[in-house]
Amino acid sequence: MAGRVVEVARKARPAVVDTPSLWAIAVGLAVTGRHFLSNLWGFVIGRPRIFTVQFPEERIDLPPAFRGMPVLVQMENGKERCVACGLCEWACPTDCITIVPAETEDEVERYPMVFDIDMLRCMFCGLCEEACPEEAIVMSQRIEVASYDRPGSLWHKEDLLVPAHKLGKRLGFIRGDYGR
Amino acid sequence: MAKIVIDGKEITARPGAMLLPTALDNGVFIPHYCYHPKLSIDGSCRLCLVKVEGLPKLTIACNTPVRDGMVVDTRCEEVERARRGVLELLLVNHPLDCPICDQAGECYLQDYSFEFGIKAGRSKEVRRKLLKRVDLGPRIVFDQERCILCRRCVRFCREITKTSELGVFGLGDGSYVDVFPGTSLANDYSVCTADICPVGALLSKDFHHRLRVWFLEETETICPGCARGCNVRLGTYRNRAYRMLPRRNDAVNETWMCDEGRDTYKIVNHPERLRKPLLRRNGTLVEVEWEEGLAQAASLLGQAARRHGPAAVAAVGSAHLTNEESFVFAKLVRLGLGCPNLDLAVRLGREDSILIKAEKAINGRGARELGVSPGPDGLDLAGIGAALAQGALRALYVVGGDAVHSWSRQTLERLEQLEALVVQDLFLTPIGERAKVVLPGLSFAEKEGTVTNFAGRLQRLRRAVDPQGQPSDGDIFLGLARLLGVEVPPGSWNPEIVFSEIAASVASFRGVRFESVGPLGIELAVEHG
Repeated sequence: MAGRVVEVARKARPAVVDTPSLWAIAVGLAVTGRHFLSNLWGFVIGRPRIFTVQFPEERIDLPPAFRGMPVLVQMENGKERCVACGLCEWACPTDCITIVPAETEDEVERYPMVFDIDMLRCMFCGLCEEACPEEAIVMSQRIEVASYDRPGSLWHKEDLLVPAHKLGKRLGFIRGDYGR
Repeated sequence: MAKIVIDGKEITARPGAMLLPTALDNGVFIPHYCYHPKLSIDGSCRLCLVKVEGLPKLTIACNTPVRDGMVVDTRCEEVERARRGVLELLLVNHPLDCPICDQAGECYLQDYSFEFGIKAGRSKEVRRKLLKRVDLGPRIVFDQERCILCRRCVRFCREITKTSELGVFGLGDGSYVDVFPGTSLANDYSVCTADICPVGALLSKDFHHRLRVWFLEETETICPGCARGCNVRLGTYRNRAYRMLPRRNDAVNETWMCDEGRDTYKIVNHPERLRKPLLRRNGTLVEVEWEEGLAQAASLLGQAARRHGPAAVAAVGSAHLTNEESFVFAKLVRLGLGCPNLDLAVRLGREDSILIKAEKAINGRGARELGVSPGPDGLDLAGIGAALAQGALRALYVVGGDAVHSWSRQTLERLEQLEALVVQDLFLTPIGERAKVVLPGLSFAEKEGTVTNFAGRLQRLRRAVDPQGQPSDGDIFLGLARLLGVEVPPGSWNPEIVFSEIAASVASFRGVRFESVGPLGIELAVEHG
């Protein structure tokens, strides 16, 4: 459908800065200045009032529902809880998980010899966590997936292991959430 | 004939036949564990309970003969409740091993519990503790806790292999399956017990913890291990072969296959397989491109045949080739090289009265029928060996590695003195090591075609693994035939076109079409005279 052309009469832009815009600049500078001074004062007395977090050094405590990258739960004995059942591999919509199972002499006879997650592919959807029958893979609060090269984005089992006590909040959350 | 009604469906059955197979054959599904069509009736699992009008209690369908006028209900509330109860009792002691159990995904206890069972267990008792990871034999690992005591394996060893290694020991809920003291489950068909095990109690060691079954793609093909040609399903994942399971075909292998045959998939992704042609340059074999390999092979063979006459040339075929490939190979040798010295090399081994045949290749009969046999006054395999030993041969074309088993070491050493030795094989054998040109072939899992088993049944090989651009044996024959001036169908290898040529020229194939060879194969017309 052809559009109807409407001629709009525009006012010519004033050549010099007029009073209303000068006023707006002054108001803006006042706001910036107020924040600057109050924060400066906050730093001086040791009680900063800003919301900005100095990210790599400082982190905020995210709510347990937050889904960062998936990690493997490490048991007290240092081994992974994962038994390489392959359900996360099957559930993964982006096919980013690769598991090679193998047999051990432990009581649970199966373990993942290789457990790789391609973090370039992972989209933090959490279906692996939902599929897992062992609570062995959970979504963590980690979000830094950048790497200098492609092999660096492939996270191996050793990189993914996180002790269970550090994941307590999330484990508690999924137990309540999925009703298990 | 007896007329019965199952779930309101009128069925005509043979009187005396059991109710369960009759229902299954007529599309009425009744869950069952201990019943197996090829084994005797045991009646131990109690899952196939049905309601028969006129009988005071529910009865097991597997051991109730069909009677005229019988009215059977398999879906009423009473039957469903009984089934739920049976499944709940089976699960009382079944360990929660599904995440580490290889059977998960093809487990009948999972399937039936999901379909007919209750959602959650009510038992508060401690599960019984039995042995796990019992080493029953060279190929079978056994988990006593997972066993539901259906006794299919016990009956298999008694009735099919007649070796009776397995038995049920103990009483009541202390019963368990085990081998008799001092024996081990080491018969030639031991992995069949893992196939018929409805749960993950008996498992194949070869497949143990290798891959979850739901990742497998299965292709209906034929085992290449011997002349029986057992019908199998080849499981592949990401272009790798993982396992071979038997598939029911009452005319060939019923529902069984031998342990040796199950290992044949291992050649498919073997790291030592040849992938590029090898050419001898300054005494060593070097990899070359396909065009060069084929051109060298054709010119070496062609020159030798021209210079020394066809009698100084010989060719050995392989019973691993399909019918279509054998046909073109025979044509290539007879017309391209004009050579009557053509025979088939087959490795011979043990045979038994169940399935295993002595010829350890699938298509011996097919290859011979399609012309891979000595022509009039041509040399047979032993004759070729003798001529080789006397130095009467100048050129030899060997397909497959089975000739190694037919010739002595001295004969093999004489191969070095040949003017032209062209070898086509999957691996570098002692023959290939002495060749001027080696052309890599394809395995059974990578090609399409038909094969004829020892009894004359025509069956289809289907491609399960993509050869990733590597030419098939048929392509090699076509390439050589064109270079040697033999008339062959244009384009790349197409077994269907060659098959129609066979059907037009070979008596036993008359009227057979390539597509008509279904998953179970067809019987070829018996040749008269």
